[in-house]
Amino acid sequence: MTATSSMTAAAKARENAGRFDPSRVPDTDTGHLWRSFLTAARLGWLMEANWTDPVLFFIYSVAKPLASTFILVFMLEVIGGAAGRDFRGFVVLGSALWAFVISGMSGLAQSILEDRERYRMLKYLYVSPSDFIVVLLGRGVARIGVGAMGALITLIVGIVVLGIRFDIGAVDWPLLVVVMIGGLASIVAFGIVMAAVCMQTRQEAWSYPEAAAGALFLVVGAVFPLSVLPAAAQVLGLLNPLTWWLGGARQALFPGGQTSIGGPGSVFAEVFGHDRPTSGEIVVALLLTGALVTLASSLIFRVSDRRAKEQGLIDRTTGT
Amino acid sequence: MAETSLYVHRATRSPAEAANWDRRQVILNNLRSVAGRAYPRVRGISREKSWLAFEILLPFLSTSAFVFVYRALKAPPEYIGFVVLGGAMTAFWLNVVWMMAAQLYWDKDQGNLELFFAAPMDVMSVLFGMAIGGLVMSSTRAAAVLLIATVLYGVQFAVSQWFLLLLVFFLTLSALYGMGMALSSLFLMWGREAWHLTQLMVEPVYFISGLNFPVGRLGMIGALAIATIPLAVGLDAMRQLAFATGPGPTGTPPPAVEALILVVMTVVFIWVARLMLRSLERRARQEGRLSARGR
Amino acid sequence: MPSSVPPAIETRGIRRVYRAKPKDVVALDGIDLEVGPGEFFGLLGPNGAGKTTLIKILTTLLLPSSGTARVFGFDVATDTRKIRRIMNMVAGGEQSGYGLLHVREQLWMFSQFYGLAPREGWRRVDELIDAVGLSEQRDQQVHSLSTGQRQKLNMARGLLNDPWIFFLDEPTLGLDVSAARTIRELIVDWKAAVEGRTVLLTTHYMAEADELCERVAIVDHGRILAIGSPEELKRRVQRESLFRLELDRLDGGPAVLSRLPGVVSAVAATNGTSGEQEERHTVAVNLALRDDTALSGVVGALGGLGARIVALEKSEPSLEDVFVELVGRGFEDEPAENGQAAPEPTADSAEPREEEVA
Repeated sequence: MTATSSMTAAAKARENAGRFDPSRVPDTDTGHLWRSFLTAARLGWLMEANWTDPVLFFIYSVAKPLASTFILVFMLEVIGGAAGRDFRGFVVLGSALWAFVISGMSGLAQSILEDRERYRMLKYLYVSPSDFIVVLLGRGVARIGVGAMGALITLIVGIVVLGIRFDIGAVDWPLLVVVMIGGLASIVAFGIVMAAVCMQTRQEAWSYPEAAAGALFLVVGAVFPLSVLPAAAQVLGLLNPLTWWLGGARQALFPGGQTSIGGPGSVFAEVFGHDRPTSGEIVVALLLTGALVTLASSLIFRVSDRRAKEQGLIDRTTGT
Repeated sequence: MAETSLYVHRATRSPAEAANWDRRQVILNNLRSVAGRAYPRVRGISREKSWLAFEILLPFLSTSAFVFVYRALKAPPEYIGFVVLGGAMTAFWLNVVWMMAAQLYWDKDQGNLELFFAAPMDVMSVLFGMAIGGLVMSSTRAAAVLLIATVLYGVQFAVSQWFLLLLVFFLTLSALYGMGMALSSLFLMWGREAWHLTQLMVEPVYFISGLNFPVGRLGMIGALAIATIPLAVGLDAMRQLAFATGPGPTGTPPPAVEALILVVMTVVFIWVARLMLRSLERRARQEGRLSARGR
Repeated sequence: MPSSVPPAIETRGIRRVYRAKPKDVVALDGIDLEVGPGEFFGLLGPNGAGKTTLIKILTTLLLPSSGTARVFGFDVATDTRKIRRIMNMVAGGEQSGYGLLHVREQLWMFSQFYGLAPREGWRRVDELIDAVGLSEQRDQQVHSLSTGQRQKLNMARGLLNDPWIFFLDEPTLGLDVSAARTIRELIVDWKAAVEGRTVLLTTHYMAEADELCERVAIVDHGRILAIGSPEELKRRVQRESLFRLELDRLDGGPAVLSRLPGVVSAVAATNGTSGEQEERHTVAVNLALRDDTALSGVVGALGGLGARIVALEKSEPSLEDVFVELVGRGFEDEPAENGQAAPEPTADSAEPREEEVA
């Protein structure tokens, strides 16, 4: 036998390792971040998206959002009868848009739980060179797409089946685009907060995102005007970007319709001196409150991340 | 090294003697297994306190949202009570969906299912233990939401038959958790698709169960729900009994009949659970998977 | 143990086929096995040999496709409850249980599944926690245990019900030397405490099977290739007695020894400790004798040659040698196509040329 053929694998590797320098680490640039995001989004899409599976499409994009809407519509019918029907458009739009909130908050949070408890992959994602939050965002984004489909179907059913009057020519498109961008960014920020919470909690936290969405439901004027709430709750609502997002979307899609933010006797009317917010006020308030929530979510995530590392929570499995 | 006496625990003279249990031993084993499986759930309550926020405060706020919808519509006060009662029962339903239906699927992933099957007890004991443990967990949550909302929103109960109300409540829980037991085997057999089916059991079931409004207003759908979903029939019966002076006929059977429906549901669901578990084990042993349809 | 006790394990023609695409997988292909009560029996084979499948059948988690299997006379297909009352199993790398429970609580939960009374269960749990060396971790949550601690917990779980037969599926997988030794000692002590306790161990660590098992079955591709005690199996492949001899001097070299009666070959030893030999100024020789009795003749002859023995060591084949002899490849090697062994590289080629590889 020659010396070469009797060489160990390690010796062979050393011979060929001339150009390898472990101290040289490539910089993480914007391109790398974007690639990480896309990869994670594609992964999330493959795992979550169900466009080609009719049963799953039905569950997530039809049954769930429509059921939520019908609960409210029937509540109106039971109490309001004909008078309730005027309120129907208000309720249906709020319920339709809420599909974004639930899917956005669930998407990121449940990615954490699934990757940690089911696939046991979280630790590998965490220690990869990609920014963890970017990967998380990518994974969660597919779920928001599912929510968008649900929202659209609910609106269509509302218009076609439930008789809601809608004039596409009257839509304020610029306002709609701006508030949707601001609103979705805020939803993602809330999703990050939920993800941070789920990093600290155990397996039973599956229901927490929906519970949190249900709580937010109370103070953002989703299905009833803020003016119905006590003053303190109205103030909380006005500090929440989702309130301005919903109000802005309503104003854009149904100009002149009932406002969720103002109204006679509301805190908004008392503070600003008029019953309805203008488009400009909505956009500014959305951007300001959205920025606050984004900042807060970033801080909360960092605290959660550090605590998770200190306590060894990244790779634990829980469950009772 | 440890004393050898440490390793001699049971004095059976032969494997045949150890293998032959009398009926008493079998029953005791199964009862103890129920307690054993319930134990982690009961202990888990105190191990992580986040449930105080997420399973009491947030559901309370979510229930409050529907209270304010009715207030915005200037509904009679009984409807506030309907929503509050529905909100409290939600705790049990979510527990059945997430911690019963999906639980064996999680157990399979963790390697527990194999050990359950390899142990001498009937695996139904495991399901019963899960149900009892889940019930204890959820009762604290439901009671908290009911109490806080009742006080805060001034809900006035008008109970005409306390005994029947309590009976209906317990029958609702037994039927709910019986359903959970049946679903846990089904979901294990269906793998990841079952995971998605749990989603179908949240808002759609809330709707057809009449969680926030009298289910009788749904006509035929309501009748179907009363016949098949424990939450629908139990909630309707409890509303009729708890708000006896409330709005007139709801278009649904009287509480006594609904109590009988719940008894039938309990029996049927538990029987179905047993049947499916046996079928599951048989298929798993034949096909070589712990779930008959794994992913 | 009375002679009326049936075999601990008895299988006849066990076959197990898994449906798979594109082709069904035959995990077990006609296993006939008998393990007596009180034996420490090993199943040795590479990954995918069928060891775990056989254990799953014997522990009633899997049905055979054909054939019969009995555990202490109870049929695995029809007497599942009885078998489950007298057996327990532990696998390597097990992560079962509920992470939020403490060690004590986890074990107590399982004690209830095995039928112990509640108080009896707590007492037994505390005994076993001390026995396996988890006393300091008794109130620690399970998810925070290290791998070795986790496996000790699994072993304690396995011993809760005092099984008559203990199935161990690679129990020391992934453990460090110290933890693995603790586990092995535990198993041996437990088995020795009561006559008739039986252990079936699957492993691909030869040394473990060699150390622990009274008999071993070598398994590959779902078939038993050989059964016997480790010594018997090694004798199958060892036709000569091999010794390594270290001498202070040897005039005439190893060739002198090769002419002695009973000596098959004598060659200079070139491996390992030549540096030490140089320091000690000794000569090492690898001797192959027809049998051990020829050694005395060699020792006598060495005296006549004026050589003094510095060290004498007997070499034995390992169980992997047995496997290689039986199958034609090592545990880690991939099977060559068409059952042909890959050719040895020739002296003047650095790498085997493509056309030489089967």
